[in-house]
Amino acid sequence: MTKPIDPELLEAMAQHRTSRRRFLGMGGLALGGLAVGPTLLAACSSGSSSSSGGSSDGITVLNWPLYIEGDEPSTSATLKGFTSSTGIKVDYRNSIDGNESFNTKYQATLEKGQGIGADLIVLTSWNAAAYIGANLVQPFDSAAFPNKKNVISRLSSPSWDPGRANSIPWAVGQTGLAYWPDKVGGKITDVNAIFDPKFKGKVTILDEMRDTVGLTMLGMGANPTTGTTTQMLAAVDKIEKARDAGQFKKVTGNSYTEDLAIGDTWIAVAWSGDVAQLQADNPGLEWVIPSQGGMLWVDNAMIPIGAKNPEGANKLLNYVYDPAVAGPLYESILYIPPVTGAEKYMTAAAQASPFIVPPATPPLYEFDVISPDVAEEVERAFVAATEQ
Amino acid sequence: MTAAAAPSRFRRPRRENGGDDSGVSARRWFTPWLLIAPGGLWLLIFFVFPLFSLGRLSLQDGGLSNYSTVISDNSTVIIRTFVYATISTLAAIIIGYPLAYVIATKGGKYKNLFLALVILPFFVTYLVRTLSWKILLFDNGPVVGILQSVGILNDSQGILGSPFAVVAALTYNFLPFMVLPIYVSLEKLDHRLLDAAADLYSSPARAFRKITLRLSLPGLFAGTLLTFIPAAGDFVNSELLGSDRTVMIGQIIEKNFGKEFFRPELSALSFMLMAMILVGVIVYARLLGTEEIA
Repeated sequence: MTKPIDPELLEAMAQHRTSRRRFLGMGGLALGGLAVGPTLLAACSSGSSSSSGGSSDGITVLNWPLYIEGDEPSTSATLKGFTSSTGIKVDYRNSIDGNESFNTKYQATLEKGQGIGADLIVLTSWNAAAYIGANLVQPFDSAAFPNKKNVISRLSSPSWDPGRANSIPWAVGQTGLAYWPDKVGGKITDVNAIFDPKFKGKVTILDEMRDTVGLTMLGMGANPTTGTTTQMLAAVDKIEKARDAGQFKKVTGNSYTEDLAIGDTWIAVAWSGDVAQLQADNPGLEWVIPSQGGMLWVDNAMIPIGAKNPEGANKLLNYVYDPAVAGPLYESILYIPPVTGAEKYMTAAAQASPFIVPPATPPLYEFDVISPDVAEEVERAFVAATEQ
Repeated sequence: MTAAAAPSRFRRPRRENGGDDSGVSARRWFTPWLLIAPGGLWLLIFFVFPLFSLGRLSLQDGGLSNYSTVISDNSTVIIRTFVYATISTLAAIIIGYPLAYVIATKGGKYKNLFLALVILPFFVTYLVRTLSWKILLFDNGPVVGILQSVGILNDSQGILGSPFAVVAALTYNFLPFMVLPIYVSLEKLDHRLLDAAADLYSSPARAFRKITLRLSLPGLFAGTLLTFIPAAGDFVNSELLGSDRTVMIGQIIEKNFGKEFFRPELSALSFMLMAMILVGVIVYARLLGTEEIA
């Protein structure tokens, strides 16, 4: 199913980055110990960049870690190129560590109609939809952002933001299966392998509801993008029964990679970025988007209300949506480029990587942007099924 | 027992002075308050205030029903958490007491070296220490291999993911907190008491029970608290070494606190955890009879 991968590319991947979710996970564990997550993070981020200010010629971008080249944003080729071609300085901060903690920190301020000192923020689709619904963001200026037309067609008009008037994908990642062919006895293509009693106690699933429930729905013949609440709850029910029967080794977040790496886990529901890295050390490990399909998650850039320089933000997005800029950027950060034609500007090795350029089939589905009430119902059921 | 003297030393003289001589009392009254002000302020800002806001949060959305919901939803997890914490505390006593005893009584000039060895693992971060257990205990690792070859485990059984792995790691991670206070109380033990007991024809076992053990109770009590309380609130060991059937309260809170609709209930759960630990500690203090500490 997967194409062979250039070992040099893999090595390069492993050398200069850890995946975003793992990075966050470790930080989360350490901070969680102090049980002061958001407050402390807020304190840290404002302390480290106190010179933020609102220099009207610059823009401030709040983004997730590892969504731009290198560890230090000021050295990023993309941002340097943007500043030299437009004269707009970018105060780029890797300060978003989760949708939920972002909401805790900023949502109330935005709801009061005040700015948060940022010109660009990046949120996952379900959360972006809520921000657009509550008018906490402002539409793009098509004169300053003509390259918006380059967004890949499958993501060009979600139901929650028709025509991408207010939001544009920044990063796109996949959720599929990682497995050891020598342990499971061959290739795996069916997503229901995670429920196969043959692998009892050797499977890990993710504690992210949208990833695990989405894949389970695919295995049940349902479509996670258009599925009903009943179908979601049926999937949760299936997960609960399997858990009660001891099918899963673990229901876990970031720490699944360790058990997978040492071979205690045979099959894992996994994030593409993690597997790209693990394969560098463990060439035997396989990555597959199951025949029924895999999950896709999208983090979207938006201009919050109260932004001091929305014009500059539009221009930055316009710059990134130039395929010649997007190609090297997404090759470096290892996510699917949401920009049409970006692949042409990548190395051959990157073009062959299923992590950056996944094959057209099997299809990838984004989990439906469900209403908060439905989300609460399904999340509660999922926590009860997997933790309590 | 020996305890009653301690608190009264603080209370009684002032009351007497206040009655005898009201002229000095104004300043005397003031001084202690001034002295506790820094600590008191610290507690107010970093303990009372957060506690208050947590309590207020726990009553949002559902009021007191948050508490009943959270208990019924998590009953298995709550029981499991306290069982794990209790077993690991007992295990820490069984391992830690003899260790402290040997260091304190037989350590001689190597005492400090032994103590340093007890603390040595703490130079490595908690997370790394716990992760390294994984390397020891994984299915193809040395420990499982040996246990399988001697027939204690069958070929399909492992250790990682089992309650045993979680409890063992909890014990390991909090063991020094047990050893150090016990050591301190044993170290200052007056050996002439034991000589006296021997002179009075007491057997060594009886002398240990009546003297050594009794006098080390405060250390044992402190060690138990320092082990049990963090063990009951721990969320790392089970996350890294356990499975979906070893979930502890701390994990539920850590994983779900970000979800807004869960927050009041999880605040209630945090409060419950705190209250249950407090009740446990009071009962334990009563049983042990250390009024000094309780």
